[in-house]
Formats: sequence, C-alpha cells, structure tokens
Amino acid sequence: MSDVVLAEGEHDALVTLVIRGMARGEVSAQQQALADAGLILIKGPIMMPTPAGTAFVSESLRLPDQAPERERIMATFHRFLPVNRALRDLCTAWQVRPDGSVNDHSDENYDADIRDRLDDIDDSVAPLLKRFTEDLPRMAGYREKLTEALAKLDDGDDTWLASPLIDSYHTVWMHLHQELILTIGMSRKEDEELEERLVAESGA
Amino acid sequence: MSPVSRTGPIDDVGLVPFGSGLQRGLDARSLCTRGIELETLAGLGLPVGSGLTIPVPNVQGFTAPDRAKAAMNLVEDIAGREIGTTTETGGLVLLRLSASAPVAAAGLPPDLTCLGLKRSVIPEGLGTKARGELGVAWWKTAAFIAEHALGVPIEDLGSLDFDYPDLVERVEPFRRLCEEKGSSPFPTKRSDQVAAAAQAMLTRWNSPRAARARRKQNLPADLPLALHLETIVVTEHDAEGHGFAMSRDMDSGQFAPNGLFRHGFRAGSERQQSGLPLSSLPNGVEMLTGVLAELEGRLRSSVIVDFEFGPEGLALVGLEQMRKPNARVATSLVVDLVTRGISSEIDAVRAVESTHVLELLHPQPKLTGAEVPFVSGLAASPGAAVGRIAITSESAVDLAESGESVLLVMSETTPGDLPGMMAATGIMTINGGSASHAAVVARGMGRPAICGAGDLRIDHEAQTLTAGAHVLRAGDVISIDGATGVAYVGELMIEPPAPSPSLTAVLGWADDLRRMGVRANADNGADATTAMDSGAEGIGLCRTEHQFMGDRLPLVRRVILSHDFDAEEAALAALADAQREDFRDLLRAVGDRPVTVRLLDAPMHEFLPASADLAEDANQARMLEHMHEENPMLGVRGVRLALMHEGLYPAQVEGLFNAWVDVVSSGDAHPELEVMIPLVSIPDELLMMMRLIRRVNQEVSSRSGMVIPFKIGTMVETPRAALLADQLAQWADFISFGTNDLTQLTYGFSRDDVERRMLGTYLSKGLMTASPFAELDESGVGALMSYAVDKARSVRPDIKLGICGEHGGDPSSIEICERLGLDYVSCSPSRIPVARLAAAHARVGSLISVNSVNVAPVVMEKSGIGS
Repeated sequence: MSDVVLAEGEHDALVTLVIRGMARGEVSAQQQALADAGLILIKGPIMMPTPAGTAFVSESLRLPDQAPERERIMATFHRFLPVNRALRDLCTAWQVRPDGSVNDHSDENYDADIRDRLDDIDDSVAPLLKRFTEDLPRMAGYREKLTEALAKLDDGDDTWLASPLIDSYHTVWMHLHQELILTIGMSRKEDEELEERLVAESGA
Repeated sequence: MSPVSRTGPIDDVGLVPFGSGLQRGLDARSLCTRGIELETLAGLGLPVGSGLTIPVPNVQGFTAPDRAKAAMNLVEDIAGREIGTTTETGGLVLLRLSASAPVAAAGLPPDLTCLGLKRSVIPEGLGTKARGELGVAWWKTAAFIAEHALGVPIEDLGSLDFDYPDLVERVEPFRRLCEEKGSSPFPTKRSDQVAAAAQAMLTRWNSPRAARARRKQNLPADLPLALHLETIVVTEHDAEGHGFAMSRDMDSGQFAPNGLFRHGFRAGSERQQSGLPLSSLPNGVEMLTGVLAELEGRLRSSVIVDFEFGPEGLALVGLEQMRKPNARVATSLVVDLVTRGISSEIDAVRAVESTHVLELLHPQPKLTGAEVPFVSGLAASPGAAVGRIAITSESAVDLAESGESVLLVMSETTPGDLPGMMAATGIMTINGGSASHAAVVARGMGRPAICGAGDLRIDHEAQTLTAGAHVLRAGDVISIDGATGVAYVGELMIEPPAPSPSLTAVLGWADDLRRMGVRANADNGADATTAMDSGAEGIGLCRTEHQFMGDRLPLVRRVILSHDFDAEEAALAALADAQREDFRDLLRAVGDRPVTVRLLDAPMHEFLPASADLAEDANQARMLEHMHEENPMLGVRGVRLALMHEGLYPAQVEGLFNAWVDVVSSGDAHPELEVMIPLVSIPDELLMMMRLIRRVNQEVSSRSGMVIPFKIGTMVETPRAALLADQLAQWADFISFGTNDLTQLTYGFSRDDVERRMLGTYLSKGLMTASPFAELDESGVGALMSYAVDKARSVRPDIKLGICGEHGGDPSSIEICERLGLDYVSCSPSRIPVARLAAAHARVGSLISVNSVNVAPVVMEKSGIGS
C-alpha cells in the first residue's frame, strides 16, 4: 500500500473518513479520487473506507518504533486509558440506569449528576490532550470539538453526550481514541487489555 | 465565638451527633438529606457511623479553625478514639467530611475521605494495600482543598499529578506549589485541614459548575448545605471492611437482600462495583434482612444501605432510597407493601407508573424451552432482534440493502464499522464489555446488542461462526436478546411477555378504582382475543375496512366501481357473505361483551387501484378516472360513500347480524352489538343510515327467527358533528370520538405532512409540547369534545360516550377523557394494560414525581416548607 501516493488533501480526507468510519453527503473531488483508487467505497449516500483504505491510513499514521516522541505519547496514553474507561462508564450510565433500565431522562437529579461528573472527566483529559498535541499537532482539533459538544449539551440537547450520529462528546472522544490507537499501532484487543491492567492498577 | 470545652453542651456550637437531631426538633432544613438518613438508620436501634452533622445555620462558621477543632473533638468523643491514633487492629483513625442539601441534589462537593494526616505524611505502620489506597484518597482530598480553598490553579495540580506518578514523591512539590500559587500554605494541623476542607466544599458549591447542576434540577440557586464529619479507620485487616446491601433483586424485583463488600476501608465516596457477594459475609444477609425490610416498610421504597464491619460488629453508615426504581422493583415493592398491611391498594396503584407497565410488557423473545442457545455474552443494549448474520460491515450494508434484517457479528467494532452497525438491526461482538464504545454506540442507535461473547470464533475465510458444538455460516438466521445477553440459533418469536403476578395484582386494583371502561380497537378474532386476555371489557372499535384488504379487495372495488345494478348486487351479496365469516371469529372472541363495529370509513384511495391501468376492465377504468379525488381524506368516505352506494352498509350489517345469529345459536357467545356510522357531519346522514340498518335487522331477525338486539351510534370526527352533538344524540345510543380525524380537522392539519415536516420545528420553537396526535390537545380539540359531551347529555343523559382514536391509549389523554366524563376509552390491544392503569390514575391520581419518595422532602413537607 505504501506505493500509493496521495495528494495532501486526499490523504487528509482519507484519514478523516477512516477515523470517522463513514461520511454522508455529496462526493467531493478528493473523495471521488479516493474511490477511483479503491481506498473508499461509495454506496448510495454513504461513503466508507475499504479495507485497503483502512490499511493505508493505519500505515500512514503509525509512529515508527524509534520515533523520539513515541515514549512521551505512550506515557500520556497510559494516563488516557483509565480516563477513557471512566468516560465510557459515564456514557453507559447516561444510557442505562444502574438497575438495567433505560435512562429515559425524566430524572433531572440523575442526569445532573452525570453531567456534573463529566466535568471531572473533561478536567482529567484536558492536560492529556495538551500533551498529545505537543507531539501530534493534528490532534489539536479534538479539544475544540469536545468543548463544542459540551456547550450544545448545556444548551439543553441531551443527544450531545452520547448520540453516535452526531459529533457528540462520546463520538469525538471515540475518534480521538481511534486516532491514538492508529498512531501507536496497537490492536483493539491490546488496547483493551492495557486499559484493563491500568484501571486495576489505578485502584478505580 | 470562642472554642468550647470538650464537655460543653453541643448546642453551643450547633453540632448534632448522628441520630440526635430529630429529638432536638431538627429536620431536613438543617440536617439535610444525609443527616436525615442517619437519623432514620439510628432509629432502627442499630449502631450508626461515629460522627456528627454541622447543620445548615452553622456551616459558614465551621470554616474557622476553632470551630473545626471543636467538631473534631466531639467526633473523637463519639467514636471513643483520637484522630491520628492507631486501633487495636492496626488501623489509622482519620476523618471524612461530606456534604448534603435539604433535598436530593446532584452536583454536591465530593466526600473528602482522608482528612487529618499530619503534614500529609502517610504513617509507616500501615500495610501496603492500605497505604496505596490512602495515598490515592489523600491526593484527591488534598488537591480538592488546594484548588477550592487555596485557589491553586487546576492546570498546575494536573501537571503535578502527571509529573510525579509516585504519591510519596508528589508530597513535597505539592507543598511548594501551594506555597507559591495558593492563598496560604497547605494546612498541616488537623483542625486547620478540616476548616480548609469545609471552605473548599463551600467554594465548590458556589462555583459555576455547581450552579449549573442546580439549574438543571430546577433547584434554588441559594440551596444551602449541611456538612457531616465522621471517623474512618484506614485498615486492611481481614476482620474489617465495608459494603452495601440492597433490598431487592434488580432483575426479578423481589425482596432479596444482596450486595457487595470488601475488606479494607471506604476510601472513595462512590459505591464499589466489585467485591465479594453479601452472602460471603458471615451472617451478612441475616443481619441486614431485618434492617432492609424495616426500612422498606418505613420509607415505602426499595433501599440500599451502606455498612462497615469490624471486631465490634456492624455499623450502618449510609442509606439511599431508590428514587426511580425499575418496573419490576416498583410493582413487586408495592404489592409487598400491600401484603404487609403497610400500604393501601390505592397507594399501590398510585405508585406504579404507566411507563412501568410499558417496560414490563415490552416485546421480548418468547422462550418455550425448545430454542437452541448459540452463545452467551454481556447484555449490552436491551431489546431483541432477529436477522441474518453478517460478519463484515460491508456485507451488513449489502444484506440490508437487499431488504434483509441483518445482525452484525464481529470480533470488535471500530468507528469504521458504523455503516454496518447502522444497517444492522442488532449487534454482537466477541470482545469488549457492556461499556465498550460499541455498546455505547449500539445503545445510542437503539440497536439491541451483546458484547463480550468470548466463546464465539469467526473464521472469515470459511465464513463460519463457531460457538461450542454449533457452527453457523454468514447469512444464517439467529436471534439475540440484548437484555439477557443470549443469542439463539434460528428465528425466535418476539412478543410481549405475560404480566407478572405483581403487575396482574396492581392492574386488578386499578380496575376496582377506575370509573371509565377500557375497550380495545381490534379488527379480527386474534386481536380481540389478545385484547380480552389483557383485560379489555369489549371492543370499542372494529375497523371493517381492515377486513377488505387482501383477497376481499376486488369485492369492495366492484361495489364502488360497478357500472350496472346487477354487478353491484352480486358484489354486495359476496361482500355480506365474506363479512359474516369475518365477524363470526371476532364475535366469538368477544364473548358476552360489547363490540362496536364501525362501518366502512377508509378514504377511497386506500382500496381502489392506484391507476386506471390496474382496473379489471375498461368500465372500471373509466369509473376510476371519474372518481379520482384531490384530497381523499376529505372526500367521499364514511357515511358519504354509503349514501352514494346505498347497498354498502346494509351488506356489511347483514354480515354482522348473520354472524351474531351464528355465534348465539351455537351457544358460543352472546355479544352486545353496537353499529357505528362514521364521518357524519349532517345529523340526517345518521338518520338515513339508521333506517336502512333497522330494515336489515328486521329482515335477518325474521329469517333467523331470533331477535337481534343492537345499538346504533355515530362517531364525532368532524367539528360540525361536535357542534351538533345534541341533534345526533336524539337518535344515537352512543357517540365515540374519533380524535385522530377530529384533531386533523380542528387544526386543519394533514397528519402525515405535518408530522413529517413541521412538527419538529413547532416542538423546538415551543409552539407545541407534544404531537397533538399522540397527546390530546385539551384546549382546542378537548374544548370541542367538552361542548359535544354537554350537548349530547343535555338531550340524552344516559348516552354512552367514548373515545376510539390513538389517544385512547395515551395516559395524558386518558386523564383528559376522565375530566370530560367519558364512559370508556378504546385503544390498541397492546395498550390495554396501560389504559387500565391510566384510567385509575385519572380517577385517583398518581405519584409520578420522582422526589415524592424521598425522606427529606417528606420531612420538609411536614415542616411546611416543602413547596
């Protein structure tokens, strides 16, 4: 796949599509070029990466083992994973109450508690994002997107915490996590195992 | 005020040892929720935590070190231990400070669990585990005090956390940071730490973050706090530990004390998610069963108690009432309380919500014992789904495009699998937990999901899925139950479960309390049987047009499109025979109950061919073009069509009366027939139809030799009919409000267009709070109905009045129907249980308010400040 040469705009468009998983809307010239190269698939109104496109991005984002910033990024990633678990647990609590019933958002007290705890998570991830961005400037946009999602949530639209079809707090976070995994070159399974170990060690 | 002596009266400083507040006449206004919880626990006569409440009026003063010292001294007296000393089992005695408000509130400051470490040094004597846990808890406490009481920037604290992962190494730079950036150094004296901790809590409670939380809960901006100071023992001794016990099993809802505990000390403020089961704690279940039963009886709610145990035994340290129990717990609890003689049946009915009934009767896989389990995993997203297996996102999209129902089964999902997840009706993954990104996404999309099905293997090359002895292929059909985490081979029926004994009991009590009848909208025998099984007292609407679909369609088309008399007659005779068969099944299912049969009402475009090309012959094609309507919903339908084809309704009622003769003469049933004429807007339309129908009744009666009793009535679907209800009531035995059409015509809305394109905007702009087709519009449509009710009853006081639109199954609309004085509501069979409960609520009220079961508001109410 490394012999494929993409223009800068095409490369960025492909990275965005792989991290987001899909796109809708009109096909841009860049996306059409990617489709012609067999890197993305256009199915009706939906665009999705092909396995070749995903492989291309994995290879292109992955930091070389000897990269000087790798150790710093891994150290920050180790701090990120327990917070990542906390965020997923929080989103789960937002969707399902502790007794297993669906959260219908009629209990203001319950929802306000979750929103309040989201501030702790946002406070925890803020310094980590800053550190990631020092080594990976392309990640600068996540802070802004998370803040946007929070603002919309606080405007009263509950979907901005965990809805998968908009750039909700969880969606942006999931993209961030995916980009980190691709950058580090770790499989999902390895990531899950590492997270499990770190969470156990942190005594959470 | 000067510090008091340790033996001085507690009134001097307003400190209230746990359990002594109520006898001093204090309530939730000063003790707040945690204070009241401890009063309740102390009232059981069992040991409670060693500590005290700093009541609301005294909290501000408590930030002074001398006051904090006085409180600390009193806590030491209560506990019989000095802070900083070591217990017989080697534990270190420290302090925990927590906050609560007069009502349940989110956004409170977190518990500060490890106060009183002199110079922030963790003593050497503790074991490794306790030192580690204490270190984490100390950092949380110290960082909170530094940020909120000393004003150290959170970014600096975050950097410290990152740069010094080792807690021991972090102490010195933390001390320096406080000196450099804080308003004062981090306090080293215990009493100064306690005072600073109190200050930090108050500062946090006044922060924008806490203000936002109060706003979100509609709580007053100046809601006060009480603080609670108590001892903790930092230990890792085997005989000491802490845990929680809940009164009910969350799956069954039954009273079944269960919980978790762990050895060591309670370092955090949140309840642990892992630990040993309560049954492993010697005498744990026995000790707590009586406590939990007593608390349930006193508080009339399911409860969770937090406890600590040590060589001296058990102490209760926390109490939580489940403010919003799930449906199983809610129904089981209220039935138990009635059985114990604590609550009345009316209380029980009030305490169960309509949403509980919907939750309990939500369709789920029907298990017969013959099904074949395929694999099990974690219940990640509730609901059930049946479909063909796709093992890649792309194949899921392809299968879904071909019209198949698809279940996406993968090792794990990444954001790149979003298209497949969207295309699928359900998701199963091998890896990942119930809080994985995949589970969050599945729940967000409303897709049932199973995660962590670890026994499953996918072979992409062979396109097979293996779990134990089962080997399936991509494309095979499976069923998944996201509520239990089990996947089954093949297709399972998905239907509402039978009501639990608790729900059956509650609905029975609701039946005794309600005034309005509850009937079902059912068009065939099967639906009618379901409805009667669910407790319907009859059929309030049988839509005969639904019987005209399928192979009956040509008959009705011939009636309407016939070009000569003979052809129409032949078609009508065939129609009467066909209807006789349909009605027989329905009437048998109805038994001896009333059944309202609405004669043909559908707009013509619903059963005529879509274009002349589809006509049976050239004559039909010509008629079809001639009968084309611009707006069929407002065109020739209902009684209007019947007046243009005068044989139509007589043929239908001939079928109905003959069917009645069949079932009554065979001894199967004796239904009470009610014939309903739709879409009347001119009273004489009704009169003309009544004459025709009476004639048919007499004809069938004389042929069969049986008197066929029947009532005749009409619908009120047009505003004109509502305005002339008194004229209709001269002849009609009953009137049923068809509120779908009445809402369309009152607003001038075309439902499909408005709901699809306009409603969202209207809701977001606050012009409406709900779709008027889902919740009856009381001020507009309701006003018309009210006028019609008064008019009709002025002429015929005993006229039977009901509703048969979709609103008949909506709780808020049912409440309006009760206010209007209707005699019955009629709704779809699946909504019958909801309607039975809602009709009772409409009569006797319900306890839907979440806070209504809280301890604190109850006490406040008694004190006169509840409002």
